Amino acid sequence: MSDDDGWSEAAVDYVQAIADTKLLLGQRYGEWMLKGPNLEDDISGASNAQDEIGQVRQLFRLLKRQGVGDEWLESERDPEEYANAATLDREAEAWPTFIVQAALTDRAAWLLLDAIDHDDFTGMVQKMGEDEYFHLEHHDGRLETLAEDQPEAIEAALEDYLPKIMAFVGPATYDAESDPLVAAGFTDRPAAEVRRALYDHYEALFQGTDVSVPPLDDDTPDPEAWDEARRRVGDGHVEADVVDQLQGVSNEEYVIA
Amino acid sequence: MKYHVFTRINAGDDLMHVGTVQADSDRLARIYAHRTYDEEDWDFIGVVREENLIEVEEGPIAGGRTA
Repeated sequence: MSDDDGWSEAAVDYVQAIADTKLLLGQRYGEWMLKGPNLEDDISGASNAQDEIGQVRQLFRLLKRQGVGDEWLESERDPEEYANAATLDREAEAWPTFIVQAALTDRAAWLLLDAIDHDDFTGMVQKMGEDEYFHLEHHDGRLETLAEDQPEAIEAALEDYLPKIMAFVGPATYDAESDPLVAAGFTDRPAAEVRRALYDHYEALFQGTDVSVPPLDDDTPDPEAWDEARRRVGDGHVEADVVDQLQGVSNEEYVIA
Repeated sequence: MKYHVFTRINAGDDLMHVGTVQADSDRLARIYAHRTYDEEDWDFIGVVREENLIEVEEGPIAGGRTA
């Protein structure tokens, strides 16, 4: 699909949610890059943060071409205007929790990005996929060892984050016939299929371990209550002090004009 | 576990030892090595578990005498 007539409003919302999720992923990787269990995790976290912020720059560039305001994107938004996955609203309290948070969110964001079938994303998504290979391999490698060492912590984090990440992906009722973005030709993989792919990946990863992946609930999110723009249920949002960091509020006076 | 990281810049070059990483699995070691030593456009980067290195030992050879 090409964008001779611009993207639909739903497509802009979809890319905005992916971009904001990557922005918050960069923030969460940054928060953990100096307190991981060892230097190698810190270095990987710093690299991941850098990749995410670089990807956000590219996605914001495309959003600006679609008429999304520069100032609004970068520095004039309230916390409830960020469309990040609800998994990232709060900083994880412990390392196993953080790995589950980052793993589910980064993989879901990648699957949604990879589902886009539009000329504006050709090439760019392939390059982003090269970055993501290292993120997702790091997470899965860590989850494999944590599943042996701390299965209860991994299972508790899955209970918390799985419904939130499924809300980010979209309702199970959005299948090949009913997903509006597929119908419009903007994506080529409906939410229902992405949900299953995401779930199956973790079910296979934890097979043979003491970690039980909670059942995939087709009623979560409730399509009636689902916010299509912010890809979640409810009005939760990231903390105001994190938004201040994202917008560089405390260092505004040093901005290079 | 400790892994040694080996690289080369050009195909056909000898491998260089560039450092080590600590990892709980081979899968993690590959990622850590790439992330930690990705300062060059390597033609090859690989890891070897320290326990898999074969030590080259020196020792006296027996002369074949019998007491």
